[in-house]
Amino acid sequence: MWEHRCKVALSGVGFSRVTRSAEVPLAAHALEAVKGAVEDSGLAMSDIDGLATYPELPATGHAVVDGVTIVSVNCMMAMLKLPNLSWHVQVETVNIGGAVQQAANALLAGVCRYAVVWRAMHNPKGTYQNLPGTHANGPTQFTAPYGFGGPGQGMAVAYTRWLERHNQNREKMATLAVTQRRHSHKNPHAYFCGQPLTREDYLKSRMVAYPFCLYDCDIPVQGAVAIVLTTADRARDLRPRPAYLAGYGQRLAFEVAGRIGSLSSYMEGGRSSSRLTWERSGFSPKDVDVAQIYDGFSASVIYGLESYGFCKEGEALDFIQDGRMELDGELPLNTFGGSLSTGRIHGLWHIIEGALQASGRAGERQVKDVNVSFVGASAPIVQGTTFIFVREPY
Amino acid sequence: MTMSDWSAVTRPIPVPNELTRPFWDSARQGVLALQRCQACGAFQHPPYATCVKCMAIDLKFEPVSGKGAIYAYTIMYHAGDRRFAAAIPYASIIVELDDAPGALLAANLLEAPYTEAKVGRRVEVVFEPLNDDITLPQFLLARDTT
Repeated sequence: MWEHRCKVALSGVGFSRVTRSAEVPLAAHALEAVKGAVEDSGLAMSDIDGLATYPELPATGHAVVDGVTIVSVNCMMAMLKLPNLSWHVQVETVNIGGAVQQAANALLAGVCRYAVVWRAMHNPKGTYQNLPGTHANGPTQFTAPYGFGGPGQGMAVAYTRWLERHNQNREKMATLAVTQRRHSHKNPHAYFCGQPLTREDYLKSRMVAYPFCLYDCDIPVQGAVAIVLTTADRARDLRPRPAYLAGYGQRLAFEVAGRIGSLSSYMEGGRSSSRLTWERSGFSPKDVDVAQIYDGFSASVIYGLESYGFCKEGEALDFIQDGRMELDGELPLNTFGGSLSTGRIHGLWHIIEGALQASGRAGERQVKDVNVSFVGASAPIVQGTTFIFVREPY
Repeated sequence: MTMSDWSAVTRPIPVPNELTRPFWDSARQGVLALQRCQACGAFQHPPYATCVKCMAIDLKFEPVSGKGAIYAYTIMYHAGDRRFAAAIPYASIIVELDDAPGALLAANLLEAPYTEAKVGRRVEVVFEPLNDDITLPQFLLARDTT
């Protein structure tokens, strides 16, 4: 087990308003979320001395304008002018989960005391994927000429392989979309809070990239979420009950750029990340009381459930049936609604919900008697990270 | 009718680089050639600086037969990529060649209804010239399915 388990805790959480597309500069959303997280902790902004983010703009073909389409660490430093700032980082290969892990490492190393991590996501007005180019450079030279224009297709090809190899039926995925949407009605920050989705809506919805229909894809939005991380001893003195970080892991094998469609890459990615998390925390899938598994596209949940070890390969779509993912089910899953219902804010929201469930702060959607709370914070193939938060240190 | 109409599609033209130029040079001559590790014999695609299996740097492009099977596919219904809007719905496929297990090539399934795309379906390479320099490997359903 990890000698540093439960020595770092997630304290405050913050949310910006979420709009369908950009109405105000993204920096305003990031600032709102960061202020919210600091206030939730009961800290003053001047207490914050660490900053971390993953600022990537997923909408391809749009200009990167700091403060407008991304919010970098530099941008946040310029806005906050923190008098005690002592550490910051901006990660690339490990997505937002990696920023959280780096902040935990910095706290453990004693180079900062209260770290803020945010994820701000831009949705440009008009076309999300702006692909007007006449040429295909770099890794896209083997994909773009064939009409592989976005991440949805890259994920869809692995999904057809999964479905046909395991003789499975995509209609079973309706349970995931519908149940998550129902969960989101208890999450006032979710984009789709209060908007019902039925099984019939799912089954009749238009196809985007087969096997993905509209409700298999998270909706692009503009918004931000943020957290305060600190050491466990400091967290105990703050207002919210802490969620203790029991262990984490990250994907260890990276795919060669431009190689797409490999189902085994998802599985290897998820296995490598979760193995570290299980080993470091000392827990196994059967110990988990509640799980948040990244769902930018619905099939990521399948690869997560199987590669993290919650069920056998080929069985994930059966696993989520029969009420198993309900708030009172065997494995309550994506209890905040997931990205499919909150909108595309990436995995920091999964991390937030994992921590809120561990600390008993999930409100109406709180799962009973949670101690072990699992998070898979991005698709296992791309920059996958995994976490376990617990209610009680051990 | 479930045939995709490719006539109004303007495909983006691949720009070869140091690693990929031999692939495109061969394709222009109607030969499918993939990068092969001279140490362990593994084929790989897309090309990379080292063998992703054994880390050797002695890699050469060698011709392969062009027969294989659909490893995975998607049918694209969304016109988000305007360049391909005229062809939707269309099948984008991933092919694993008999000669090069593990090397995965993206392509389209041409001259067949897009509904014919299925995992495991036998396919064979065909070459689609884009201009004088660049010819795209593409795939058809195999005539001989044995």
